[in-house]
Amino acid sequence: MSEHVEPAVPVDPKNDFLVLDDVHTHFDMGKTLLTRESKGVVKAVDGVTLTVKEGEILGLVGESGCGKSTLSRTVMQLIRPTSGRIFLEGKELSALSDTEIRKERINFQMIFQDPYASLNPRMTVLDTLSEAIRTRHPNVKGDALRSRVAELLRTVGLNPNQMKRYPHEFSGGQRQRVAIARALAPEPKLIIADEPVSALDVSIQSQILNLLKRLTREMGLTMIFISHDLSVVRYIADRIAVMYLGRILELGEASDVVDHPLHIYTRALMSAIPRPDPTSEKTRSRIVLQGDPPSPMNPPEGCNFWPRSPIEHDERMKHEEPVLTEIRPNHFATNCPFCVQAAAETVPA
Amino acid sequence: MALLEVKDLRTSFYTRDGIVRAVDGVSFSLDKGETLGIVGESGSGKSVTCYSLMRLIPEPPGRIDGGTAMFDGQDLLTMSKKELRKIRGRRISMIFQDPMTSLNPFLRISTQLIESLRLHYDVDKKTAINKAIAALEEVGIPEAAKRVHNYPHEFSGGMRQRVMIAMALITEPDLLIADEPTTALDVTVQAQIMDIIKKRQEDLGTAVILITHDLGVVAGTCDKVNVMYGGRMMESGTAEQVFYEAKHPYTRSLQKTIPSLQTKGEELYTIPGLPPDVSKPIHGCAFYPRCPYPKTGKPEGDRPSLVEMADGHCYADCGFCDSSAPIETVLPKSDSPDEVEQAGAAE
Repeated sequence: MSEHVEPAVPVDPKNDFLVLDDVHTHFDMGKTLLTRESKGVVKAVDGVTLTVKEGEILGLVGESGCGKSTLSRTVMQLIRPTSGRIFLEGKELSALSDTEIRKERINFQMIFQDPYASLNPRMTVLDTLSEAIRTRHPNVKGDALRSRVAELLRTVGLNPNQMKRYPHEFSGGQRQRVAIARALAPEPKLIIADEPVSALDVSIQSQILNLLKRLTREMGLTMIFISHDLSVVRYIADRIAVMYLGRILELGEASDVVDHPLHIYTRALMSAIPRPDPTSEKTRSRIVLQGDPPSPMNPPEGCNFWPRSPIEHDERMKHEEPVLTEIRPNHFATNCPFCVQAAAETVPA
Repeated sequence: MALLEVKDLRTSFYTRDGIVRAVDGVSFSLDKGETLGIVGESGSGKSVTCYSLMRLIPEPPGRIDGGTAMFDGQDLLTMSKKELRKIRGRRISMIFQDPMTSLNPFLRISTQLIESLRLHYDVDKKTAINKAIAALEEVGIPEAAKRVHNYPHEFSGGMRQRVMIAMALITEPDLLIADEPTTALDVTVQAQIMDIIKKRQEDLGTAVILITHDLGVVAGTCDKVNVMYGGRMMESGTAEQVFYEAKHPYTRSLQKTIPSLQTKGEELYTIPGLPPDVSKPIHGCAFYPRCPYPKTGKPEGDRPSLVEMADGHCYADCGFCDSSAPIETVLPKSDSPDEVEQAGAAE
């Protein structure tokens, strides 16, 4: 690898809808009480370059602690990046002041994992949605406001005569629908959904997935969909980014990433998904990763996957940092010869 | 003789708003070394079934209304608290869903690990600690000798669940009840945890009851499967029977909702409507309002009971729907699940 590396994923802040250019989000753990030594830095997001096209659903996959939630909060500017730039429709979000960003945030909204915690229990659905609508249309009042709320509820498949109810009067799936309506209320262009179906039952999960997919198509929204479950992401996303220890290991069209994964980690994630078929499930061989991901406070040098990789890495790759490279057309993976080579050799499961 | 034989178990909760029949007549049996999966949506009564066996139902408002649960010749449901204490934690152990709330945050792992060992067996503290270290090594915790003295918050979610497994298995129980042991965990960690449970089961010959809503997890680990809905069993049989020859419309619908089985681009199949409200009496088949199959009539009266179809393969046949039709042909295009849910909620 040469000294200077060209950015492997081409970014064009002027024309692309959402651009993340070498984003780092680090958390300083502070200093020890007496000796004033640094306790270390958690590199939650450690150099992510991504573009999201308008109208696209980007799936962001990874285990807990890989930084996918921090990345989404960095895009929302709820956490400011340590370095790197973020552009939405050519406007540099990371350069805006807190007041400006608050005005801008009606253009990008978030749906959280836990619909029990993300709705105010003391506000009726009408109050919650009215407040959200008035962030964009401050002068809408009375019947006009009410009819907008009713329309929103209908969009997400709820009955408008339930608008006077409180969150606790709804089931988990319905509550997630209210949370989706709240995210849609300011008429955003970008939605970030952070594990929106992980807390739901399988049968409810598919209803919410269908709804999210339908809404993005009909309303021309762009979405970043975060999940640890590749089978869910495969269904909803157009492109998939696989994240590990704050970095992107693989990026490509959903069908390419799922059907022809390049990185051994992606393959391991897929092989960990249990299949509802007793015979093949009891006989097939799986790539079972050992242990947990290492701490992002002290990430391994070089190819950050080597301590858990089933393929032994040589000394060079334990020190040299691999780069996200276009290996097949529009299909990127880190150019670690061990991780990517190994994936190619493993027989497709 | 079966290790555990449950017959007609009924558990209800007597609340101000009426009687909630959470478990309404459940029967099954389990042999030594076998794994039984209990599958169902939230509110189907799968957890209450197992809590009843351990007599962990809060009374009041809960009450075990009837049935027997013969464990090695003794009825778990009627034995005295004193006798029960000899069995709980020693011969039957339980793993709970959330490893953070089921470990005591104030006590070191070592204290919690050896508690049941010291309670049930006559061992001194040093031997017990050594056993605890061995148990942690068994479930794959690195540097077990050092980490045994850590507090729960010093472990990650997957590690904590491993500690729970070590704790449940340290007394080498005959039966392990695992209530959604991997639901809160990542897929990669889930695979590790299921491997550990399987391996320990092979080593010790432990019988396992696995409660889950994930049919995929069941497929890889269970010998027998019970499908529960509205407090009752809808279908039971070997894993192969339930997966390949599913008879009950609910089982077949549940299989159809799994995202990984569906082709990309197609809309996901959803079961229309909501699970039944068990606080109201259910007449006929509980799944009738959501059933996608063509019917010749509406089931009335008592809920259908389990009928044995083939060797050990039972299902609750209401007699009105033609579940032999291939599911692909009878399922309506799921374009209006929202409206059905509305209707269900507006009631």
